[in-house]
Amino acid sequence: MISLYRPGNSPLHRLPAGPKLLVVMAAALGISLTPPSPALLAGAAVAVTGAYLLAGLGAAEPARQAWRLRWLVLVVAVSQVFFLPALTVVANVVRVVVVILLANLITLTTPTGLLVDAIERALTPLRPLGVNPSRVALMLSMTITTIPVIAGFAAQIREAQRARGVPVAPLAFAVPLLIMTMKHADDLADALTARGID
Amino acid sequence: MREIELTAVTVEFPGRVALRDLSVRLDQQRIAVIGANGSGKSTFARTLNGLVTPTSGEVRVHGVDAVRHARQLRRRVGFVFSNPDTQIIMPTVAEDVAFSLRGRGLSRAEIRERVADALARVGLTEYAEAPAHTLSGGQKQLLALCAVLIGEPSLVVADEPTAYLDAANSRRIARFLLDEMPQQLVLATHDLRLAARCEVALRFEDGRLVDHGDPGPVIARYERDQDQ
Repeated sequence: MISLYRPGNSPLHRLPAGPKLLVVMAAALGISLTPPSPALLAGAAVAVTGAYLLAGLGAAEPARQAWRLRWLVLVVAVSQVFFLPALTVVANVVRVVVVILLANLITLTTPTGLLVDAIERALTPLRPLGVNPSRVALMLSMTITTIPVIAGFAAQIREAQRARGVPVAPLAFAVPLLIMTMKHADDLADALTARGID
Repeated sequence: MREIELTAVTVEFPGRVALRDLSVRLDQQRIAVIGANGSGKSTFARTLNGLVTPTSGEVRVHGVDAVRHARQLRRRVGFVFSNPDTQIIMPTVAEDVAFSLRGRGLSRAEIRERVADALARVGLTEYAEAPAHTLSGGQKQLLALCAVLIGEPSLVVADEPTAYLDAANSRRIARFLLDEMPQQLVLATHDLRLAARCEVALRFEDGRLVDHGDPGPVIARYERDQDQ
């Protein structure tokens, strides 16, 4: 399920979405630009764990989130291990994991609506350049809404293939998924029109 | 004024004619639309909300021209689709209902209050912050109805709203539409028991209105023709 928000009353839950986004962006930039050192990397990992504890999510939650990233970690590490010094590889892996955990922390402590509102407000200065913040916010919301729907289509197709004893075939999976997704996009367009959005 | 008037309406899609020269005037509170798949009942329903533009002819709903003032019409005519999954636009239940109030100049507090009232009306208060796609089929259809009713339409058009639901949820939705909802209703349905509870039934066949009137006799003739 894409909606990861976990209701709570921690200081991080109470912090408005805008400042939270800015702090996370600054932290991500900081850890990405600072030269690698074991102390800095350990400090970043401890700080992220501390932030999860402050949010009342428990010390196990960052470990759980990091475990979900194991394949990404593997790809990042393997692609660099032959070309870069060990410390740099470890630093890059830790940077990626820390930045993703921080981003997850925002979605875990901020309702989607408030997050989208903050992004809409942040885009308002770009209006003279032809950016429509409401449309961008609507697009973001609909993307978030649609991801579980498409995941549901994928599950249906896999189930139908298993039920018919068909071996896993990428094309036989991708084509119906594409058709179902396009049909859903059509239906969603009708629903938007019916609710007054042209 | 709650009059729905179609005059010489024809709707053509590439390769087929979905409605043929339809003229009808309706002012009943509960209007059923029946017919086989592809008969034209969904196209008829969609012209009432401006989702389908007639190739020729005129559609007036509660005094509003459906072609020239489609945007204005959509504020007066709510539309409920058959598949509840395709009607969910925003991630959470409360956000999806609030979406219908966009651009109406209401404050956040007013929107929150109206959303809470609307959710209470359909019994979804406890799911307000839940991801909309985690609801059951019946709850999703109630959410769709809630998202329509919060806009205070004068007419609700429901296109096979119970098609995806189990028996219990179908009864729940039917009770809401037919017994509790004060708005005028146009109900396109394959469920003839629901059609029988309306005040008038229209029967479509091959894009033509072939029968209309008191639901009992219209349904009896439809069933007899199907059996032959």
